[in-house]
This record gives sequence, structure tokens and C-alpha cells, in this order.
Amino acid sequence: MGSNRLDSSGRFQRNNTAGRRAWLRWLPAVAAPVAIASGALIGSLPAGASNPLPARTPAQVLELAASHQVQSFSGTVEQSAELGLPELPAAGKPSGPASPGSVGSVASVVELLTGTHTARVYVDGKDNARVQVMDQLAERDAVRHGSDVWFYSSKDNTAEHLALPARSQDPGQTKDPALSKEGQGAAGMHTPGELAQQFLSKVDPSTAVSVGPDVSVAGRAAYNLLLEPRTDATLVGKVAIAVDGASGMPLSVQVTARGADKPAFAAGFTSLSLDAPDQSVFTFSPPPGSSVKELPVPDRSGKHADAHDPSAMHADAKENVTVAGAGWETVVGTAPGSAAAAGSLLQDPLLSQAAVAVPGGRLLSTALLNILITDDGRIFAGMVPPERLQAAAAVAR
Amino acid sequence: MPQAAQTARAAGAPRSSGLSLLGSELKVLFGRRRTWALLLALAAIPVLIAVAVKVSSAVPPGRGPAFLDRITQNGLFVAFTAMLVSVPLFMPLAVGVVAGDTIAGEASLGTLRYLLVAPAGRVRLLLVKYAGALAFCIVAPLTVGLAGAAIGAALFPVGPVTLLSGGVVQPAEAALRIVLIAAYLAVSLAGLSAIGLFLSTLTVVPVGAMAATVVVSVVTEVADQLPQLDWLHPWLFSHYWLGFGDLLRQPVAWDSFASNALLQAGYMAVFGALAYGRFVTKDILS
Repeated sequence: MGSNRLDSSGRFQRNNTAGRRAWLRWLPAVAAPVAIASGALIGSLPAGASNPLPARTPAQVLELAASHQVQSFSGTVEQSAELGLPELPAAGKPSGPASPGSVGSVASVVELLTGTHTARVYVDGKDNARVQVMDQLAERDAVRHGSDVWFYSSKDNTAEHLALPARSQDPGQTKDPALSKEGQGAAGMHTPGELAQQFLSKVDPSTAVSVGPDVSVAGRAAYNLLLEPRTDATLVGKVAIAVDGASGMPLSVQVTARGADKPAFAAGFTSLSLDAPDQSVFTFSPPPGSSVKELPVPDRSGKHADAHDPSAMHADAKENVTVAGAGWETVVGTAPGSAAAAGSLLQDPLLSQAAVAVPGGRLLSTALLNILITDDGRIFAGMVPPERLQAAAAVAR
Repeated sequence: MPQAAQTARAAGAPRSSGLSLLGSELKVLFGRRRTWALLLALAAIPVLIAVAVKVSSAVPPGRGPAFLDRITQNGLFVAFTAMLVSVPLFMPLAVGVVAGDTIAGEASLGTLRYLLVAPAGRVRLLLVKYAGALAFCIVAPLTVGLAGAAIGAALFPVGPVTLLSGGVVQPAEAALRIVLIAAYLAVSLAGLSAIGLFLSTLTVVPVGAMAATVVVSVVTEVADQLPQLDWLHPWLFSHYWLGFGDLLRQPVAWDSFASNALLQAGYMAVFGALAYGRFVTKDILS
């Protein structure tokens, strides 16, 4: 402090000593960015396995993941997708009046398949679940409490209610405790567990399964299960699933397109607690002033607005849906009678711009999924190159 | 300011001169007509919004800035809307004026010399100036929030507030959340203040430092909107500015508050150190 005062009366004080000291004064200005940069670098390094997990074979890890018993958890899921869909600046996102039933609309699903999204997930048992998709200054909620399912969108202050049948046999509802299938579609985001299920169900001789070095997800040590399709006829190059070493719960899923080095789609927990969440999060009543809509009880054979959703496509083969190929090469198509779905897809301005004309129809091409909308209104989708879709369309005709 | 210099000089012991220097700095800052004009302009934003909504027909849901359509049902939403509207431009503008003026203002008035003759020391003066700018960062969002709540209560009914998660809280807790958001915004503006302080040490023309600070904030916000600069976004000081919506969830999401505080602390460290380096090596001629 003393030398500061000496300097304070100006340039006449300046001599060699002061000149030499001057650069010392700039030292903090150099040290601060260096400290921050090194801190960020250390933080971004993969956490070393301080407490390594016991070695397991791929089969054992698959078994561990399949038999996990986690029924209650709460956590934050971050999902990022770079599928090559058109991406708008955040400021330019459509904020116009939402069309009825916008919660699960095509635009909303497409929006969730671009960029980064964060959601909080609370699950307690089979009957209580809540997903909060945290948008900037808005939120989309899906709450399941017993047989009541509520969807809420804060943007337009709309609530939708669905009363599930008392004894529902829909496999979509009992397979995973997280949410009913409709809940996933409307909330739009899937927990890593649900996604992992989709890929683990594909594990068959056409998939090379290996276990990579342990990873750390949400502060938990996890096995890194790597699935690689043995076929060239798929867009998927590699799927990495982090399986919690302690509980066997899938913690993250990363899907890398063939030939790419960075994942095109990643979803994983950034924080996770295996304690039962507070029951108050599962109670929901529509806020005053909101418009409430009663949804019809889901019709098994009905098509959903999210019909082009890859998991929805692969999960259920319905009467008017044709399935060609198996495993990674699966192509799912709709019967000619369902032109409405194609229309709704192309009505979305974003999608109709992104779809390019190809022989036989229009093609919506992303890094991991191709969708062919034929001229006669059929939709073919699959994680396969476009030629396969065209071939499937020709055969089905 | 001459008064500041005198007060500082009058306070004898160096130990106490830090606090008394801060006291006189705050007195000068909040005694200025310019500061009052800034705060009044900020307070006019919620008034304008409330009156516009009152005289116009109902806003369809989903149109305009978030919360605007809720105002007619609940006056407290004026506060949320006004804070949201003022974040991108008006707040940085006001903070830029105050932070840009800190050192350059004294230099242009020729009072910096006198301040440094007092046994205050450059480091202490810098800290006091920054503390003054931070005080303004606390007062400015609070002004918008409280003025919004007041005008909203005057023109519209006040009742339980619907949060983003669809839950409902009583007006008392909603008022608490308004204060929390004001705190969030105060933290958000701390980094910009540090930048303003540094720019202010570079020049003796306060308007230059003010304009530069505002330009920096606008450029940063534009960069934050470009998807091509994805990798840069978490490092921009304006990245979490609109994250205060997380305080309106149920349960409250504190993640963005924490990330924001960490980010702003980083900016304070870097630009505080730069300001220190510049200020203690600078030839003070005025």
C-alpha cells in the first residue's frame, strides 16, 4: 500500500524501480485468467477413477442394467441434439399463439430435438412421476399421480388432463415406471433409462458389445457400455450407455452417427439422487386462469403426433404400421390410409423447409434418422440411409 | 467529487478511511441527479407496461414477453414482466453509465488527484468505486421490481401467483421471489460492472467508458444468440441473465443462480485484476 501512495502523485516519481515494479502490478491481470482457464480445464477432464469399479464383462454389465431395481429417484437430465435439423437463434423461436394441443405437437417435438434442453425428473414407484422441461422463462410439465396424468405448459397457461384406466395393461405404461408413453411424448424428453431401454432392446448378434473405461456421470462411477452395429446399413455408428456401477441404472446415452466423432444425440443425468422425492411434487391441480382440456383415454391403435419419434416408432408395431428389416436396419412405414400424419408433418414450416425432394417423395434427413414422406402420403422412417427407405416404400406399394 | 475528497481527507486513520470513503462515495452516487434520473427511468418501465396493459385489450396468451398475458389477472406479474423487459438493455445501460463513470468521471473533473492525495491508496479507491457500482446494481433491479409490484397492485387485482411449474404461491411468497430475482439480477450485473470499472480506468472521458461498457454488453448478448458460437456461450457474462425464471419454478432451481454467481465472480476477478493493473501503474495527471 505504501508504494501505491508514492506512485500516486504522478510521473515525476517514476524511476527504474517503479518501472520494474509496474509489470508486477499486471501480474494479477495475467494470473486471474490463467487460474480460471486451468480451473476450467481440470473441471472438464474426465474424472479419474479414484474408486475403480470391479471389472465386468459386457454380458455382466448388460445383466446389471437389465436387472436394476431403482424405482425412486430425482435428478436433472440434460439432453443435447445436433441432428442437423434447422436451428433458429434462441430469440427467433416462434412465440406466436400456440395451436390447440401444442404441448405434444410436431413443432414442439422438433424443437426438443434441436439444441440443448434441461429437465428435472422425479420418479417414485410406478405411479408417481413428474418431468419438468425447463425452458427459458417457461416450463413444460408432465405429472403422473396415480391414474391422473396432467400436462401443463406455462407458455400459454394450458393444462391437459388424462385419466388412465384403473387397470391399464398398456405395456407402455408398465414397462418403465418413469411415465406413460403419452407422458413421454408430451413432455418431450426421455429419461436416459427409457432411451437406454430402446437401444438395449436392439442388442442381438448384429451388435458388437464392449465395455469401455469407466466414466463418471452425475458424480457417480459408471460402466461405459458400447454398442456398435455390425451392419453398414444403419446411420448409427456407436451408442455409449453409462450404467451406474452401484445400482445398474442407465445414467446417460450418447449416440454417434457413423463416421462422426462427436455424439449427435446425448442425454444424461447431470445430478441424481436415489432417494424418494418429496411427495408434494406429484400433486398438481390446474392453476386458476388456465385453460383445461380433457384428453381422451389413449386409443391403442391411434397414432400420436410424435409418430416420427424414433422410439415411438420402434416401440410399437401397430396394425396400420409396417415394419421391414430387423435390429438396426428396421424401417417403419405407415399404411397408405394415413395421409393425415404426413400432412401434419409437412404443415410445420420448419420441417417442410428441411424436407428435400427425392425420387418418390420428400426426405427429411438427420444425422441419426431419415424420414421419407412419399407422394401418396405414407411415411417411412428408420435409422438407415435414404435408399433403404425408398426401397422399403417401393416394396410396400 | 470534491465532497468525497474532503470527507476522505477528514477521516484521519487509514483503517477507518475505507469505510468512510465508501460512505461518502455512496452519498455522492445516490445524491446525484443523474443516478436518480436513471432509477426513475427504470421505475417508469413497469409503470408504462401496467398502463399500456390497462388501457389496451386483453393480451392473448403466448404473445409478447413472458408473463405479459397474466398481468390482467394478477398485478404482481407487472414486476416479473418489467424485470424481464429491462434485463437485456435498460439494466446494462444504467449500470454502464454508473460503472463507466467510476474512475473516468473523477479524472475528467480533475478530482482524482485529490482523492489519491488523501491517505486512501489506489487499491482502496478502486475497491470503494467498485462497491459503489455494486450498490447501484443492487438498487436498480430492486427499483424495477418494487415499482412493478406497487403499480401492479394499484391497477390490477393481486392474488396468488401461478409459478412456471403450475403451482400457486401466496402474494407474500411472490414478493419474496421478486426480491430473489432482484438479487439474481444484482449478481448478474456484477461482471458488467467490473468491465465498466476497467474501461473507466483506461480513459479520462467518462462518456467513452460508459458507451464502451454498453457496447460490450450488447455485443455479448448478440453473440449469446448465435448458435454458431455455442462453445462460447457458457463464458459470456450475459449467458445466465434470463435464467432468473428458474427462481419461479417449484421447487426453486438454484443451479442457474450458482452458475451465474460463479461466472460473474470470474469476470470480477479478471477485470478487477485488469483494472488494478491499469490503475496502479497509471500516471494520474488530473
